[in-house]
Amino acid sequence: MAPPILEIDELTMRFGGLTAIDRLSFEVERGAIHGLIGPNGAGKTTTFNVVSGFYKPAGGEVRLRGETISGLRMHEVARRGVVRTFQHSTLFAELSVLENALVGTHMSFPPNIFAAMAGVDKANRRAARARAEEALDFFGLSRLADELAGDLPHGHQRALGMAVALAARPDVVLLDEPFTGMNPEETRRMMELMVKIRNTGVTILLVEHDMHAIMGLCDRITCMSFGRLLAEGNPQEIRHHPDVIEAYLGGARHVA
Amino acid sequence: MIELLAQTGLNALYAASYTALVAVGLVLIFGVMGVINFAHGELFMLGAYAIVAVYADWNLPYLVAVAVGMTFVGIVGLGMERAFFRPLRDNPLGGLVASIGFLMILQALVSMGFGVRMEHVPPVTQDVIVITEKVRLPVFRLAVILAAVVLLASLWAFLKKTRFGWALRASAQDPEAAALQGISINQTARIAMFIGAALAGVAGALTAPLISVNPHMGHSVIVTAFIVIIVGGIGSLEGAVIVAVAYAFVHTFVTTFFDGVIADIVGLLLLLAVLIVKPTGLFGSADRA
Amino acid sequence: MTKLAALLGFGAILLALPHALSFSQQEILVFLTINVLVVASYRLLTLTGEWSLGHVVIMGVGAYASALLSKRLGIYVPAAMLLGAGTAAMVALALSFPLFRMKGFYFLIGSFAAGEIIRLLWKRFREPFGGPKGIKKIDPMPDFDIGVYVFDFFEPISYYYFALAVVGVSLWVMWRIERSPVGLTFHAVHWQDRLAEASGVNVRAYRTLAFVLASGFAGLSGALLAHYIGTINPNSFDVEQMVFVLTWTIVGGTATFYGPILGCVVLTVLNEIVLREAGFEQMRPLIYGLIMILSVLFMPKGLESLVRGALSRRNANRKMTGETEATE
Ligand SMILES: Nc1ncnc2c1ncn2[C@@H]1O[C@H](COP(=O)(O)OP(=O)(O)OP(=O)(O)O)[C@@H](O)[C@H]1O
Ligand SMILES: [Mg+2]
Repeated sequence: MAPPILEIDELTMRFGGLTAIDRLSFEVERGAIHGLIGPNGAGKTTTFNVVSGFYKPAGGEVRLRGETISGLRMHEVARRGVVRTFQHSTLFAELSVLENALVGTHMSFPPNIFAAMAGVDKANRRAARARAEEALDFFGLSRLADELAGDLPHGHQRALGMAVALAARPDVVLLDEPFTGMNPEETRRMMELMVKIRNTGVTILLVEHDMHAIMGLCDRITCMSFGRLLAEGNPQEIRHHPDVIEAYLGGARHVA
Repeated sequence: MIELLAQTGLNALYAASYTALVAVGLVLIFGVMGVINFAHGELFMLGAYAIVAVYADWNLPYLVAVAVGMTFVGIVGLGMERAFFRPLRDNPLGGLVASIGFLMILQALVSMGFGVRMEHVPPVTQDVIVITEKVRLPVFRLAVILAAVVLLASLWAFLKKTRFGWALRASAQDPEAAALQGISINQTARIAMFIGAALAGVAGALTAPLISVNPHMGHSVIVTAFIVIIVGGIGSLEGAVIVAVAYAFVHTFVTTFFDGVIADIVGLLLLLAVLIVKPTGLFGSADRA
Repeated sequence: MTKLAALLGFGAILLALPHALSFSQQEILVFLTINVLVVASYRLLTLTGEWSLGHVVIMGVGAYASALLSKRLGIYVPAAMLLGAGTAAMVALALSFPLFRMKGFYFLIGSFAAGEIIRLLWKRFREPFGGPKGIKKIDPMPDFDIGVYVFDFFEPISYYYFALAVVGVSLWVMWRIERSPVGLTFHAVHWQDRLAEASGVNVRAYRTLAFVLASGFAGLSGALLAHYIGTINPNSFDVEQMVFVLTWTIVGGTATFYGPILGCVVLTVLNEIVLREAGFEQMRPLIYGLIMILSVLFMPKGLESLVRGALSRRNANRKMTGETEATE
């Protein structure tokens, strides 16, 4: 069997007295769509924040292709091929849709100030633009390219967030609740796109409350609660796991 | 040597007293309104000019002049609150810029009214307490120190014991929660602004007979106050007092044993060091900016 | 085509302008030209979202460096100016290590403190900075002849043309940077530094780049100033000057490239021409202060918002007329 692309190993994260992640371990197979679920406040977003380098963990580590990446800064993690989206539509609201996607191409086509001043970066700019347009096209946003990102309806903003991430051509994307704010039709289309993305070889780690989407998409699911690993398995196993049912029914507001 | 240290210590205590008054006022305004009042040094300057006008020019008793200065500057503070801090409540950078604009207005008005030259205020009393031959404490300085202690103690009592004080502290913690409790944001802002400005004014009034009064004297005052409130942690009144005393000692001693410019540089380096290591200040926890 | 014509026309006006002015107005025009570079470089700094209170001091670093290099080492003045700009950029680079551990308000105060420290160092060290009295008798630009025009730097007109060329090239460079992917990244860092970082942008490096570039241009403007007025001292670059820069920038608005320049030009014309001629000399700081307050209260988006409004109305009109033509 191929080694996992991403390993979360005994990861711990604390905020003051609160242990938001408690010795969490799981592995993500290369080319998989891997779900990370759990009731509100379980620590899913925090896990993303640690994996992507936004926080330094209090203990444990994250490995990408065997190399430790925990403790690196966010852009350094991104440069190793792990790109994320944010739970709350985080976009460059004051920039156009196309410009948003262009920022996503930053790593593939790094700007060079001297070339820019001398005007010898035309090829680079053109390639970046083509990549950005391709990403917009993929998510059906092409005709909105000149709109301000902040003016888009919510569903489109989620899609644009993903377009920005995908424009970077990552090896692993971390998607935090990509379906919130989408109607069932949009969700269905987005699910198809995700399968397509996976088929191009991108590994997807997905946090989502929409159980229908999770069960329909994921190859493997990790369920966490109060920062700890609760259960892991394929969708069938998770659906019938007594601890998972208990966690979602007992006390949690969010019932799948 | 001991005597020099003792004398410098007494000088430092005097510097600490007015620095604390200015800094506490600035912190109070920041705590409640969330804006840095860049014109705070000019409020100090106004307090000093109140002495020039009421005490030196009109020959009224010094204490009357201090009271007039304190009240007048407090009212100026109310005017600032109404004129720009209130409309710019959601725009801290705007509030800062407006206060810079106001600073220029105050400097210009005072220059036009009094001229730009230095004013010398006749001494209130020349009495000196002779502790040893080389350690002397002018009675007036002692009075300034005591006045500062009394003012700060009353402020403390006001904040801890009265309903208004409670409202001020509550809205410094969380303006919206305080508003839910039926305390009007405008009212707490007015009280904070009045007290904060009055404290700067009274500090200027108290020190006026000992320094040269000029329209640009606010600059060094605001620099010092910035150092104090940021090192102390913006939002922390206790921190401001403690750091004001500590800073006054450091500054006075460095001035005595090296020179004033070095002392200023040391103070600013201290500020930078704290900003780098712990931007929320030594005693602060609030992250409001 | 019309754009090119407009640009040429504008250039011609700038060239002809000093001939319509009195000697003292020509001098003001030189200062204005230099200040345009100061505010434009200040905007470059604010592109990544940080507001500094040390920009004028950095400008002073360029002035001091250029003055000292030409005076002490006999370096040819234009070369000294470029070295002055480089020095300002290097000082900014050194300052960026402590300062960019801070953000927002803390950066504002930190930059203020750093600037004050530099000013105090000028004050404290007579050698080489000249102490509180500063540096006097700074070498003027050496005269030269370019065939069609003889630069005689005793005349403000000559210095104006020289400054205009330097500032023009600088603005053009800044404009190109802003319109390039580098500029886009600056904007990205400003509006959402987290998302920028997640997209692989080294946010700290870009903040530093903007700061260093802006400081280089500020240093260049300082050098231009120093060799024009011939005397500089620590108070030439004090908070009051910073307040002017801040006012121009805020009154003009920072959303567009031309906003701060507009603010600088409009307020300078108002200040120097209108107020001075009208004899309000003493009240100028007062009026400046009032304008600052009124503009943050009633025009928070700056003068540029008026221009933008007018432009978009015109475009809208044009579109409408265009459409009616098409349907007919
Ligand atoms: N920056 C922070 N400071 C303090 N506590 C935090 C911080 N971020 C998260 N927490 C706490 O950590 C716990 C986990 O939060 P997290 O956002 O990771 O949950 P989540 O699983 O993503 O929840 P949701 O499904 O609602 O998005 C929560 O109790 C939260 O309050
Ligand atoms: Mg979450």
